[in-house]
Amino acid sequence: MNIFRDLMWFFKMEKRNYITGVILLIFVSLLSLIPPYIVGIIIDRIQFRTLTIVSLVEWNLFIILLGAFLYIFRYIWRLKIFGSAMRLGRLLRNHLFEHFTALSPQFYHKQRIGDLMAHSTNDIQAVENTAGEGILTLVDSITMGSLVIITMASVISWKLTLISLLPMPVMAWLTHRYGDMIHERFFKAQEAFSSLNDKVQENISGVRVIKAFGQEEAEKEGFSRQSIDTVQKNIAVAKIDSLFDPTIQLIVGLSFFLAIGFGAMFVVKDELSIGELTSFTIYLGHLIWPMLAFGWLFNIVERGRASYDRIQALLHTKPEIVDKAHSLPRKPSGDVTYQIDSFTYPEKEHPALSNIHLTLKQGQTLGIVGRTGSGKTTLLRLLLREFDIKKGDITIDNITIYDYQLKKLRSTISYVPQDHFLFSASIEENISFAKPDATMKEIETVASIAAIHEDIMQFNDTYDTIVGERGVTLSGGQKQRISIARALLMNAEILILDDALSAVDAKTEEAILKSLQQNRKNKTTLIATHRLSAVQHADLILVLDNGNIIEKGTHEELMLQHGWYKEMYNRQQLESLVEQGGVQDE
Amino acid sequence: MNKELAVEAISQQKVFRRLLSYAKPHKKSLAIAFFVLLISAVADVLGPIIVKIFIDDYLTPQLFEWKPLLILGIGYISLHLLSVTLNFYQLFSFHKIALWIIHQLRMDVFGKVQHLGLAFFDKTPGGSLVSRITNDTESIKELYVSVLSTYVQNIIFLIGILTAMFILNPSLAILYLIIIPVILLLMKAYRHFSSKIFHLARQKLSQLNTKLNESLQGMNIIQAMGQQKRLQKEFGKINDDHYQANIKQIKINSLMVRPAVDFLYLLALTLILSFFGINSLNSPIEIGVLYAFINYLDRFFEPVNMMMFRLSQFQQAIVSAERVFGLLDEKEMAPVNEGDSYPTIEKGHIMFNNVTFSYDGTTNVLRNISFTAKPGETVALVGHTGSGKSSITNLLMRFYPITHGEILIDGVPLEKYANDELRKKIGLVLQDPFLFVGDVKQNIRLYNKEISDEDIIEAAKFVQADSFIQDLPQAYDEPIGERGATFSSGQRQLISFARTMAIQPKVLVLDEATASIDTETEEAIQTALEKMRKGRTTIAIAHRLSTIQDADLILVLHKGEIVERGTHQALIEKKGLYYNMYLLQQGMSKE
Repeated sequence: MNIFRDLMWFFKMEKRNYITGVILLIFVSLLSLIPPYIVGIIIDRIQFRTLTIVSLVEWNLFIILLGAFLYIFRYIWRLKIFGSAMRLGRLLRNHLFEHFTALSPQFYHKQRIGDLMAHSTNDIQAVENTAGEGILTLVDSITMGSLVIITMASVISWKLTLISLLPMPVMAWLTHRYGDMIHERFFKAQEAFSSLNDKVQENISGVRVIKAFGQEEAEKEGFSRQSIDTVQKNIAVAKIDSLFDPTIQLIVGLSFFLAIGFGAMFVVKDELSIGELTSFTIYLGHLIWPMLAFGWLFNIVERGRASYDRIQALLHTKPEIVDKAHSLPRKPSGDVTYQIDSFTYPEKEHPALSNIHLTLKQGQTLGIVGRTGSGKTTLLRLLLREFDIKKGDITIDNITIYDYQLKKLRSTISYVPQDHFLFSASIEENISFAKPDATMKEIETVASIAAIHEDIMQFNDTYDTIVGERGVTLSGGQKQRISIARALLMNAEILILDDALSAVDAKTEEAILKSLQQNRKNKTTLIATHRLSAVQHADLILVLDNGNIIEKGTHEELMLQHGWYKEMYNRQQLESLVEQGGVQDE
Repeated sequence: MNKELAVEAISQQKVFRRLLSYAKPHKKSLAIAFFVLLISAVADVLGPIIVKIFIDDYLTPQLFEWKPLLILGIGYISLHLLSVTLNFYQLFSFHKIALWIIHQLRMDVFGKVQHLGLAFFDKTPGGSLVSRITNDTESIKELYVSVLSTYVQNIIFLIGILTAMFILNPSLAILYLIIIPVILLLMKAYRHFSSKIFHLARQKLSQLNTKLNESLQGMNIIQAMGQQKRLQKEFGKINDDHYQANIKQIKINSLMVRPAVDFLYLLALTLILSFFGINSLNSPIEIGVLYAFINYLDRFFEPVNMMMFRLSQFQQAIVSAERVFGLLDEKEMAPVNEGDSYPTIEKGHIMFNNVTFSYDGTTNVLRNISFTAKPGETVALVGHTGSGKSSITNLLMRFYPITHGEILIDGVPLEKYANDELRKKIGLVLQDPFLFVGDVKQNIRLYNKEISDEDIIEAAKFVQADSFIQDLPQAYDEPIGERGATFSSGQRQLISFARTMAIQPKVLVLDEATASIDTETEEAIQTALEKMRKGRTTIAIAHRLSTIQDADLILVLHKGEIVERGTHQALIEKKGLYYNMYLLQQGMSKE
């Protein structure tokens, strides 16, 4: 139950709503005890023929009035308690989202997005449930249960109450047992369902093999077997599930039998009137719900506890990349210098980069080439402070980047990552992502520089075309170019292109690079690429291998060195020839 | 707008009717379950009548003879036990029937998917297909469980209660009938208002999840571009919309479900009390009947609450059913044989005659492809990515229908062959060897009963896979996990070779692996490939030109056309595209 203590901060925040809600809930329990009592009175008067038309009308009006109040109260407490629970969900979701935006890439490397989604949906829902249904069942089972029992015992007969409640603990025990059994069987049924899911998944992924070997019928048979297995495991669940209602029916029936049988005895002995006996049985009916609620309460609380702990753990994850105290609140600008002795990713043994020392003058272009995994991306990410260096430093304008405010540092850099991610929004919104108030003209200008404007005009909705997961499917090259346009709109001093043109054909690439040169005079550009032609015009080219610089210089210098660069360059020339289907001199 | 709603209602009715038709095969067990339900309801309804007899005939006049009382007591208890037992039986039966109905629906939709053409799979994301076969059918299950169990049961129960009321006091029962239209009206109104709000809430929830998912995926962009604050605001807005929709849902539920039904209950109570009270002023009435009526009233409203509660689930199930039926009605079927001549492939003579093909009907990926592979010959297809190599093999496997031209096998058009014949005589080896969960043996045999264990070992030996399989802890019974992740890519390749050779095909279609294969198995694979090709007509897609130097014919493809053709020697001498590709690869292998 200490989940309620952990959530106390929220209950305090929503004090008024919870207090009103709980009071009304108790009030509802109290008021709903009255009608059975009235029924008893009327029956007795009918029996003893003391009923008058006036009193009958009065009593009935009273019930209707009571009903109206109950209706209003029930409406209000639901709105107060369930509404508060929804506000808790909203609050936690906002907290989580804010926290997510502060966490560093390292966190996202360790966590799967699916898991994070599950925490933000299922877990928050479970906590919501605790703050809503949990409170309801807690209050209802305690107040309603005890009120009904007290009324039965004090107003009608404590002896009869004791006797007729005898079977109730059996019900609580049985439903608890069923709960355990069903939990176990349900788990198995879920497993069967998930392996059925796997089977379908495999079938769909292997559709070519299945068709090539004519295995369709056999697959159907296999699926049928698993589906039957799922059915059987679900039937096992249904068996227990179907026990709940009859069990409650059985126990309640026994309680009624005891109440009527012994009640009749008391009536004979004149300890009870028939009207009182009727009221008594109605009260008995009112006890079923609190009993059930009590069983549910444990379930709800248990789930809420686990979920709340998971959410708290997430919220307490510290972001690795933070501002230093007294960091500079201005945008960095000037020469970029790398002085890295070595950099190792967290939880890795081998350094990803070692001995990287270079200076890039303001306005120069740096080309970084090398095999996959040689450290190109790492070099760029360190400048963005996606990870912090321990041995060495990176400076801009001779001031270490760690002295600038993170926000300012990043506003100096436009970044086009390898995995060109677009949001499910219009092309216009995607391009203006970093600058939502950009004019259409600005957007079109950057789109033209990125050589995507004409492609966009071909779409039916031009710049309003929705892209991303739910929109039209773009080719990899189109996505990359939109992603470049998005970065260009920031008009930042430093532009990072991380293998950002891999899916663009050679001609387009050349056009983009040319217009970049024209439009980004006096601005620094860092390009990592597999295609050497993209960095041919760079002021400085680094060839990385295994985190070390193995060659360094301009294109002309490197071509004279007869090293990796030259060999690769020649090969790529031939490759592009083949790709164009061409033959030399054609 | 209203017209739209009406159309929607009609289509929902259609879907509902189609869903119910799935219950037909279970007519017999359904009838039994209904019958049991009926008896259980009768037994349950009789209980209060017994109490009524007890109160009116014995308790009120203070008449106590132990014999009839004992009979009444035993009668009550045994009726109760009977009702409880039968109730369990009917609940369980309806649940079971619902599960079997879903099984049938799943089989139908899965079976349908097996016979859809590859063109359909190309345009449909795998995830959504899986979701339709499993998740959507799962939410339809809820409909059967709630419709068959909750609704049917509760309606029968309500009818039982009303009947009992009629027996006890017809005039009051008639008065009581007024409540039913009120309840129906309430349900209708609730459905009307709630479906919109329910829909809104679901939509907001899905927007919320999409936004969150997307933000998490694009977090590095958000951070690099310093848009955290803006995204927080946007998320906050959607979160708030979601909250508002939920509050609306709480309001409508509070307004129209339990509190409203509880209010109706009290109204009905006053109705009964007034009726008896007024009657008692004129003549003595039976208290027992009053007791029974009040007792019935209590029981009457619980089912009503249950039915209201299930309404939203019902809506959800219909939406899922629409999606499932949409898939069941899909028209893009896999090509099948034409005519009923059922020719067989004896020699393996393959001829492409001016074949043109397009996946989408607009851009041709193959143009005027013509070539002949004589029995036992190897034809190699080379060209860079997107040149149309795979499309040629896709057509030969009859994965897609040809747009123009024809493919002849042994002089007979491809369309004339039965699927079985094609699958038995043409062996396909895919670039990415796909392994199924199971064991090695199963992966070689698949479900083909004609292949014996000896055949499996022989096939494995033939493709040089036997030695590494024998070294596995459980040899041919070694389990294979998801996608064969525990095996190296070379081993997976060899197993898939064995799978192809086990059916002893006349024609071999090879899609060579592009990914570099571990050196350990590389040699085994090359030897295996050579052996496999011997004596079989082979159409091979080659990425490494070194492996097809001995091919009888090499076709060089570019943008869907054959740009060069000839033997390795002839093409090298031509110094064209093939020659350049060859040079390129020579350079690569030096590295």
